[in-house]
Amino acid sequence: MRRMQSDSFDAIVIGGGLVGAAIAWGLQRQGLATVLLDEGDVAYRASRGNFGLVWVQSKGLGAPWYQRWTRTSAGAWPGLAAELAERTGADIGLAQPGGVHLCLSEAEFEARAARMARMRAEAGNAGFDYRMLRAAELRDMLPGLGPSVTGASWTPYDGHANPLRLLHALHRAFVEAGGAYVPEAKVTEGQAAPHDFAVAAGGRRFAAPRVVLAAGLGNAELAPLFGLAAPVRPQRGQVLVTERAAALLPMPVTTIRQTQEGSLMLGDSMEEVGFDLRQKPEVMREIARRAVLSFPWIGGLNIVRAWSALRVMAPDGLPIYDQSARYPGAFTANCHSGVTLAGAHAHLLAPMIAAGALDPALEPFTAGRFDVRAAS
Amino acid sequence: MSTDLAIIGAGPAGMAAAIEAAALGLSVAVIDENPAPGGQIFRGVERAGGDPALGPDYAEGLALARAFRAAPIAYHPATALWHLDPEEGHLSLDGAPDLTARRVLLATGAQERPVPIPGWTLPGVMTAGAAQILLKTAGMVPVGRTVLAGQGPLLHLLAAQLGRAGASPVLILETTPPGRRRAALAKGGFWAGRRLLAKGLGLLAETRAIPRHCAVTGLRAEGRNRVERIAWEGGSARCDTLLLHEGVIPATHIPLALGLEMRWDPVQQCWHPAVDAYGASSHPNVAVAGDGAGIGGWEAAVAAGHLAALDAARRLGRLAAEDFAGRARPWLRRRREALALRPFLDALYAPAPASIPDTTIACRCEEVTAGQIRAAARLGATGPNQMKAYLRCGMGPCQGRLCGTTVAALIAEARGSTAETVGLYRPRAPYKPITVGALARL
Repeated sequence: MRRMQSDSFDAIVIGGGLVGAAIAWGLQRQGLATVLLDEGDVAYRASRGNFGLVWVQSKGLGAPWYQRWTRTSAGAWPGLAAELAERTGADIGLAQPGGVHLCLSEAEFEARAARMARMRAEAGNAGFDYRMLRAAELRDMLPGLGPSVTGASWTPYDGHANPLRLLHALHRAFVEAGGAYVPEAKVTEGQAAPHDFAVAAGGRRFAAPRVVLAAGLGNAELAPLFGLAAPVRPQRGQVLVTERAAALLPMPVTTIRQTQEGSLMLGDSMEEVGFDLRQKPEVMREIARRAVLSFPWIGGLNIVRAWSALRVMAPDGLPIYDQSARYPGAFTANCHSGVTLAGAHAHLLAPMIAAGALDPALEPFTAGRFDVRAAS
Repeated sequence: MSTDLAIIGAGPAGMAAAIEAAALGLSVAVIDENPAPGGQIFRGVERAGGDPALGPDYAEGLALARAFRAAPIAYHPATALWHLDPEEGHLSLDGAPDLTARRVLLATGAQERPVPIPGWTLPGVMTAGAAQILLKTAGMVPVGRTVLAGQGPLLHLLAAQLGRAGASPVLILETTPPGRRRAALAKGGFWAGRRLLAKGLGLLAETRAIPRHCAVTGLRAEGRNRVERIAWEGGSARCDTLLLHEGVIPATHIPLALGLEMRWDPVQQCWHPAVDAYGASSHPNVAVAGDGAGIGGWEAAVAAGHLAALDAARRLGRLAAEDFAGRARPWLRRRREALALRPFLDALYAPAPASIPDTTIACRCEEVTAGQIRAAARLGATGPNQMKAYLRCGMGPCQGRLCGTTVAALIAEARGSTAETVGLYRPRAPYKPITVGALARL
């Protein structure tokens, strides 16, 4: 790395999306002088494509630690929303009225019931509150439900928020608390020693005893520089958004939610297509089809926007959290649930990073789990 | 259905291209949002072609529309293109079955440059182009005291057209800054462009009796529930309808969504797709013709339409190289003539530098003010896409068509950058709203 004057901080966070911004805010909030390095106007930015659910019910089948972490985050969310509102005046639109997952056939209903029963069994003492609802009961909860809906699962833990307002509020709160947000600063070089890190980005050099890799899909390349592994791949998701409508949906559905402004958001696909951001009409059509089967009245609404974005997926779909064994002080955070996990990232993970050790509850999230599987 | 050439837009460029391509034996489909051919400039020409208020050009537009109707073309009016896959040549349509085409020509024209002055969202304030649409489609003219403000050929054309319809504006406020005329005169082109120049001078003579102020700055529309006054630096006047116009810019929505290579026009402060002499874009299957590739007016657009059709026929193996050159030559010459006066007009009517007050709305759909955009730019939004994420500007029904240039200019101003560096929104499909039900096809 070229010798140049470096700006010194207590922590460097690489990645200005929801994961990086939540952690940076959490660190700055703890009193650590933090710099948040971000890319420019055009980048993959999963955070700009987020659907906006604060979603618990289907997370962590076969991995109860993920269910617990998700539910913990949903529990931390009201505190995060309140503190951001107080600091920035922004209304992030958090509502946690519970949520439902609709089933469009008897087979889907049976599969869902089995899944939810397993979730409860795996939850053990933590408990897992849910109900399977038949269409007749569901119609009282969700007006205008279509005749194709056979039933649904419901949990009280689910909710939603405005992901873009969250991003803006995190950036604002971070900067107003004294954090340094640096856009157009894609990291091009990194130097690591225990508790001593330097990175070059946007023609500047930054140094700190802590570095957090939260660069989404960019983590895959960055991690080895810091003695870490982040085997993440892109998974494309497409979303449709309608014009505003009167408030009709009292709670979010896995693939349909009504925003605080009244728009209906319809999602979402899971496509393994690599780094390909193109929209596909046939996928958009399928999203529209399921939405109309669920709620026929949605068919009359205009779609005013749609997009595709790339999720940040680990091989098993769960988050990856690690501290480097070789270079203590280097951390990484990877997930595809930047909104749901924002509460945990800001209020739980950031204090762990500040204190220099991840909580044992996060041990199952180490990237080492993939080596173990490969070896066994 | 499969076709050789799909043309988006039935304005002068699209109609001319369709007529030429059909004559060369290509199968041609034309997709147009409007119920009848003509585009913006010849809107409603088949019905209103003889209306003296609209002027002599309209008669020429009528001839073009008749030739278009007579040619063997699969014409889909009232149909919107909502997605285009240029690799597959697949066109997703709302209003007609989807199409597959070997080549696609975008002839989607121009739009008015937004004029974000204080009070521009008040009822009674509209663009000159919108007023002209009402005149062409419904024969409607504004009642009461109409004031025209801004600059550009359309401003004077509309003043004359309103006069002929018995609703002459009471005042014209020209924003062209002092000294522009001298710089523009140096561009020349007057002999080759004499016909257009005569037309322009004729309009100025026709509207001579209308009171006007020149080099006006600080425009603001005032009123409680609707516009009542127009004020400017050093004056004000009563006003029932305010028509704003600062020229037209290429409609870049679809080219941007396709990721076509774009070029910045430093004089007119706008973007257009990079195209060669025959309209070929950076994508091997896509061409752009007419004002959508750079503002040139309808006669240049007709020539560009013919050239793009000839190029399509050549690329699809329906026209030999030597034949192509011979047929292209007269259209290249006609376009050159039609564009002769353009450097003069572009320089004369270059957008006047204006500072937008913080409280003025920049994005009308989401009601985002200039001040909010400046603050977010200082926080760290270096371009319109991050700005959209921060503030929702460009997320409404117009999908950033109306605020794109304003937002880029405000970011550039706040960050000490240029609109060219700041860049553009990246639009996505659907290019035009489509209902969930129509998309689902249930």
